[in-house]
Amino acid sequence: MPAAMRFPRSPIPARAGIGLRAPHYRDVLEQRPAAGWLEVHSENYFGAGGAPLHYLEQIREHYPLSLHGVGLSLGSTDHLNLAHLERLRALIARVEPALVSEHLCWSSIGGRYLNDLVPLPYTDEALCHVSARIRQAQDFLGRQLLVENVSSYLEYQDTTIPEWEFLAAVAQATGCGILLDINNIYVSAINHGFDASEYLRAIPVTAVQEMHLAGFSVNRYEDGEILIDTHSARVAAPVWSLYREAVQRFGPVPTLIEWDTDIPPLAVLLEEMHSADEILREQRHDRVA
Amino acid sequence: MTALHELQCGFVAAVFGEDDAPFAGKVRDGRFPGARLVQIYRNNTFASLTAALIAVYPVVVRLVGEQFFRYAADRYIHAHPSTSGNLHDFGGRFAAFLATFAPATTLPYLPDVARLEWAYHRVFHAAGHAPLPHDQLAAVPPAQHGHLVFGLHPATRLLESDYPLLRIWQANQPGAAHEQIDLNEGGVRLLVFRRDLDIEFKRLSNGEFLLLRAFSFDRRFDEACAMALEAEPQLDLAGILRQHVSLGSVASFRLDLSFV
Repeated sequence: MPAAMRFPRSPIPARAGIGLRAPHYRDVLEQRPAAGWLEVHSENYFGAGGAPLHYLEQIREHYPLSLHGVGLSLGSTDHLNLAHLERLRALIARVEPALVSEHLCWSSIGGRYLNDLVPLPYTDEALCHVSARIRQAQDFLGRQLLVENVSSYLEYQDTTIPEWEFLAAVAQATGCGILLDINNIYVSAINHGFDASEYLRAIPVTAVQEMHLAGFSVNRYEDGEILIDTHSARVAAPVWSLYREAVQRFGPVPTLIEWDTDIPPLAVLLEEMHSADEILREQRHDRVA
Repeated sequence: MTALHELQCGFVAAVFGEDDAPFAGKVRDGRFPGARLVQIYRNNTFASLTAALIAVYPVVVRLVGEQFFRYAADRYIHAHPSTSGNLHDFGGRFAAFLATFAPATTLPYLPDVARLEWAYHRVFHAAGHAPLPHDQLAAVPPAQHGHLVFGLHPATRLLESDYPLLRIWQANQPGAAHEQIDLNEGGVRLLVFRRDLDIEFKRLSNGEFLLLRAFSFDRRFDEACAMALEAEPQLDLAGILRQHVSLGSVASFRLDLSFV
């Protein structure tokens, strides 16, 4: 028997959306801003009830929703965390998201969690391992996952495959979609000195189902600086440029403005969202013309 | 051991500062030497886990100051690492940790404050539950009342402390008036519960506390009443039960008609 839909059927439109955070629950419900869709961190709703789910369910009645996980530790050599997957599956059943995504990274080993997105070494072994785990997770959840490229601050000696080829190969091997984080590409390109445009060109067009935009911070030291993906600022100018390039290649793809620390008033997120929508509209226009 | 597994174990050992050796040479020197790049991950990990503790334990932070709290958090993260991909699960053993944390022993009430804040956190995220069905309860024949087993709402926690815990908590809320609290003024028994979406506290008498605690341990009503009355012979059991049913803190019941 098919499960009854409790929420409107609402696929994610090819427009810009915003990351929904607790300080904005009431504003979103009262103002109903013209966001194309919303995304939340899955784990923030892993509790059994209370305010977070109360607001999410109300808001879900008015917006298409995407669930974005930060804690599944897909690349770990531990067993997949079944309790975590079960909580995710229950949340999916409860709020009926249109998209479910996770990161191409690991964050735990030996049962110990760093609760941080740590890059994998890009090797044949890691490719085989993480692909098997993504397939396991997709089988368990009974749906496709989108997998996101993370920003990184180091590269391993073991790495033999460029990250962009690794990401494309994971999508090819598992049938997962790609959530392309444009800010992460930029941050890693600056930190490691690769060509961000080359990255974009290596990603299969049809696999990209969502893009992320966010602001980074700069850690400055006496002998240099490094970009840190803090989701704490407006999208930087060179990231907007790279985004234009991405939209030209991948077409108008649902795009999220993420802002997770030093969260500003909702209006600031909406300004960023309108900027992204503007670029998406130009592209749609160009394609029709 | 596979190369990937070895790398992950070495990385975590380096992040926790236990042993840098297995990971040495695993990171390319980039903009900075490899060891400094690992340091960025160490900082990120400890910063996010510490932020999670600060979010759950704001009153402890206020009582000990942020610098001391950060030191305690660092020790705690080493002693009791996160075991979940959900940061909201992190920090459940902080009260027990503080009880044995030598630099905090001058504040003997601190572990109880942490216990209260963890209870608050758990109640915040706990499941909802429909109110107890009055008509079904009323239909239970009086002869069977002793066989009732009441259940507490999932979003409730019981706490007792030898210190005036609720007043300490209230005096350390943002914007609270400055208040002198006598730590010897006596302890408190509390129910932490949710009304709509807000977390509230209710002071309980000794007998009332024992009654609810017996419910939380699935004791039959006759046993629970005996425990409560032994401590507080004048207790108005029927009145207290009515009150907690109407608060929603007593949210379910079943009949245990097994052999007495």
